[in-house]
Amino acid sequence: MTDAEVAACLARGREGDEKAILELFHYMYPHVAKLVQANLPVRESAEDLVQQVCVKVMAHLDQFSGKVPFLHWVSRIAVNTCLNQIRHEKRRPEVRVADLSEDEATVVERLASSPGELDASDHVASKELVDKLLGALRPADRLLMRLMYLEGRHVDEIVNLTGWNRSLIKVRAFRARAQLRRRYSVLMKESP
Amino acid sequence: MNPIDDQLNRLFRAAGQGRPGPVSAPAYGLETRVMAAWRAAQSVETAAEAGFWDMTLLVRGLILASVIMAVSFWPALTSADSTTNPFAEFLQLTDSTIPSDNAP
Repeated sequence: MTDAEVAACLARGREGDEKAILELFHYMYPHVAKLVQANLPVRESAEDLVQQVCVKVMAHLDQFSGKVPFLHWVSRIAVNTCLNQIRHEKRRPEVRVADLSEDEATVVERLASSPGELDASDHVASKELVDKLLGALRPADRLLMRLMYLEGRHVDEIVNLTGWNRSLIKVRAFRARAQLRRRYSVLMKESP
Repeated sequence: MNPIDDQLNRLFRAAGQGRPGPVSAPAYGLETRVMAAWRAAQSVETAAEAGFWDMTLLVRGLILASVIMAVSFWPALTSADSTTNPFAEFLQLTDSTIPSDNAP
């Protein structure tokens, strides 16, 4: 969809044209689904959250000023919705070796014993381990770490996605990384 | 590089490789649910707008009624002349009956 087509769709959508709303839904769906899946809170269905984001976007079409691209505006709504949901999870437990599965403990051992990259078979366990480590961070820090280190996004991209300014992102990333380092060192000390 | 940082970087790289692929089509029924939610939101908005106008009409009606009441009572309240003011006569009557009723 070109910018002009999006603008036309938005204009019709604001008038209440169902066809335009449907087109907008199909246009933004892959983008929203990807963001929601990457930042999905525990105990929350991805579909429910995608639905919540899409409805929120459609209900607030009047508030879209056009200063930023439509998808950037949608991402900010998606990110804020995810963050709000994550904030409801009051419990952010510390990660202990005893809480790790056998595979996750093996990943920790491999990382400590060998300087090389992990095997392809360790991807699932490493993802679960990362989820546990990130789960102990504050929601915004968790989101930032995911965007930076799991998705490999640049600061400029994160600015567009979240609407946060560059210095805030850098400060937050520095603090979150330090926290992750501290939590990971605790794991390392506890592991046999 | 700090060994902890190095291990964390390798851990993130390994976890990042297992990322889900691009999302294609919405799940079955999602489109219908989203459109239904949008329609419901639209109808609530329309109802709220209608409610707003109903309230405005009610307020306007009340203001108009108050003005008519004030205009119709104005001469009666301002006039002190008992010959033209029916209320003044009524008040004089009650003034005279109350003392006689209360007399021992």
